[in-house]
Amino acid sequence: MTPPPQRPQAQEADIALILEGTFPYVSGGVSSWINQIIRAYPEYRYAIIFLGSRRSDYHGFKYELPRNVVHFEEHFLYDDLNAHGLPGARKGDDFAFTMANTLVDCLRNGEASTAQTLQTLRSLTHEMMPGGRLQIDDFLYSERSWELLCDTYRRYCTDPSFVDYFWTVRIMFQPLWMLARVAHQLLPVRMLHTASTGYAGFLGALLHEARGLPLVLSEHGIYTKERQIDLLKSEWIRDNRNVFQRDPTELSYFRQMWIRFFEWMGRYCYDAADPIIALYEANRLRQIHDGAEASRTFNIPNGINLARFAPLRHQRPDTPPPVLCLIGRVVPIKDVKTFIRAMRRVVNQMPAAQGWIAGPAEEDPQYAQECQNLVQSLGLQEHVKFLGFQRVENLMPQIGLVVLSSISEALPLVILEGYAAGVPAVSTDVGSCRQLIEGLDDDDRALGSSGAVVHIADPQALADASIALLSDTSAWNSASAAAVARVERYYTDTMMFDRYRAVYEKALQGQKEPG
Amino acid sequence: MLNAKIGISAVFMELTAWGGPLLLQENSDSALASYLLAHALASALLSLFVLPLLRATQSRPRLPILILLTLWIYAVPIAGFLGMLAGALVLRYYRSPSIHSTFESLQLPEFDQHQRIKGSFRQTGLRSFLGNPEVPKKDRMRAMVSLQHVSGRVASPLLRNVLNDPSEDLRLLAYGMLDTLEQRISRAVDHELKALHTAQIVEGLEQPGALTLKAVQNLSDLYWEFIYQDLAQGDLRDYASRESLRYCEQALALEPDNAQLCLRQGLLLHALGQLDQAALAYETAHALGLPATRVLPYQAELSFARRDFTHTRELMQRLDQWSALPRLRPIIDYWSAR
Repeated sequence: MTPPPQRPQAQEADIALILEGTFPYVSGGVSSWINQIIRAYPEYRYAIIFLGSRRSDYHGFKYELPRNVVHFEEHFLYDDLNAHGLPGARKGDDFAFTMANTLVDCLRNGEASTAQTLQTLRSLTHEMMPGGRLQIDDFLYSERSWELLCDTYRRYCTDPSFVDYFWTVRIMFQPLWMLARVAHQLLPVRMLHTASTGYAGFLGALLHEARGLPLVLSEHGIYTKERQIDLLKSEWIRDNRNVFQRDPTELSYFRQMWIRFFEWMGRYCYDAADPIIALYEANRLRQIHDGAEASRTFNIPNGINLARFAPLRHQRPDTPPPVLCLIGRVVPIKDVKTFIRAMRRVVNQMPAAQGWIAGPAEEDPQYAQECQNLVQSLGLQEHVKFLGFQRVENLMPQIGLVVLSSISEALPLVILEGYAAGVPAVSTDVGSCRQLIEGLDDDDRALGSSGAVVHIADPQALADASIALLSDTSAWNSASAAAVARVERYYTDTMMFDRYRAVYEKALQGQKEPG
Repeated sequence: MLNAKIGISAVFMELTAWGGPLLLQENSDSALASYLLAHALASALLSLFVLPLLRATQSRPRLPILILLTLWIYAVPIAGFLGMLAGALVLRYYRSPSIHSTFESLQLPEFDQHQRIKGSFRQTGLRSFLGNPEVPKKDRMRAMVSLQHVSGRVASPLLRNVLNDPSEDLRLLAYGMLDTLEQRISRAVDHELKALHTAQIVEGLEQPGALTLKAVQNLSDLYWEFIYQDLAQGDLRDYASRESLRYCEQALALEPDNAQLCLRQGLLLHALGQLDQAALAYETAHALGLPATRVLPYQAELSFARRDFTHTRELMQRLDQWSALPRLRPIIDYWSAR
């Protein structure tokens, strides 16, 4: 039985690492990157502030906390939304609500510049801190809040339901006061580091404003974009427009509200963060598009420990093993179903082929079950195996290809790990996968292709590209050689650690706390 | 509870107002003043008691209503007080339920213009709109969202095109929407497979009955949906065709006279390239009573696939006799050489 996770507490720390829905509760690319970074700098004491949706969504740590994590605290945004007593009548602070009104006008009319809007937002968030003039009870129960709500509904809301509007506004903004309280109570630290915008980025920006601490933002995916996609296809957001009011090409008002909310959370964080780090160029450009100042942005790609994988190269057989391996969690974003469908075609062409899915299936049991059903319904029980979590070192000498069928990735470590062990990759064209397989600049491209890139959700193309590599030993060998050369030249962990050390040192030079 | 106390206090205060001068048998100015004072207090208390008993719509604005009640009770001695008290109690306990027995006629509401966002485009040319990379991403995103309101058969090919779009946002959204369509059917398939399993336990494999028939028919329908909605491609499309056909034939074994199922069987055999058997199934469907307009287009298509153009023309000319096929009209005209 696993012992209960330890939650160390400290009076002060060097770096506050603000994480939303990831390490140490969730395994995956971002979490292992965070684990890697913390362990790389034993000289710094980390305080982890974990933000989650509800406590019941997280079951135990997936990672042991490194020794230099001296403080750990967790907060759940949607766990404590009920009032604990009968609320008293209250007027609400005129100044604070006038400011809130100004902010609404700035956001809605589009006449104010982004800088002006952010200035108003900063002033307002300052008043949300404990002791400020805009407290949670004023937001929930005051007359001024009600008036503002009614007024904004009349002026802007295109959905007929006031009740839904009322509750959408409440549920949307309420967690921000919780974050203000967290910011107020946080132990003294010297700098802040967040791995995303969103709520974690908002908390980072709040702390930056309140304490004048440097804020470093390292984004793997682009939070705002991912939220937007979720919101566009989500089915829980109501649309109460009737047939005369509805224009099918228009998003429902509440959907728009949520998208705008996360966009502005992102801008607020980008405004406070310096530097703003992306994993690769396309994401950096997206950050600039979403409001990040270009001069503050740069890329630091992921890197891996070569020494761990280099000895595995000698264990490979001479001809490519007909084993395609998808290493990753069994979750929808990995699009495991496309891999399984592709296996149907691969097996049709290469009856000896095997498809391995190596990764935990506990995160989304329903999806995992659907994948198992698909394997059965396609008659692939003998060819597709769900291996659960596996040590990558054990897998690499046995497999012919690392396959990635994901619909979204940033800079996947599994491709680099495969490269280090001399295993080529076939991946969907997501994140930086094309850059990893075909090369970024001319020098990189001169190394040759270390696999193949296909479009998302195209099992046929995925199968054909895999068959082409596995059935041609010389093509497979040259892809393997390109893979090794590429990872050794561009993606080692020492390069990544050196660059982050410089980022930390620069940020700490400008710190104020605990002085 | 507080309100009851106020009511009782009002009654006692009014009794005091009258009782004082009567008991003292005095006619002095001070006796009158004490009466008026106590009566005023009683009036105020009674109006405070009455106010919560009124309906919400009658008791607002509160202060003016309270003053009016107080003045009324004060100005009409005895009758005002007793009348108000009785009225309040009657209202409280014998209020008629506020349900209208008949429909009320209302004025048509004015169309609320502000709830319709301006400046949006219409659905025309959605395919070219989505495929045009020059159109701002935000507009293309909105166009894609509108596809949630159209059938899967129309939406799927459009969404599939967007899967190869340079914009990752659009690709992800298209994938998510396609996945939702596919998942709905997959889950229904899982549900029906369980229903079939239960039916086979209840009815036995030897003599399958209505439950088995319903389950296999539904399964054939669902696998057909994968094809009809263009959700399965390549090897998987063939697989879905075979599964749909397998269940369709099981259903036909139980209900051989089902013309609709015969047509489905024909379509699936046709899709799988088994043209002779498909032709037979179409003929059976027609013989079982399916109208010629439903079967003839498929028979013509089959004949075309066999490169038997004379027979195709003949079938199309027979189709020409029916006037209820506006969407096929251009094809009929072509084959009728008009």
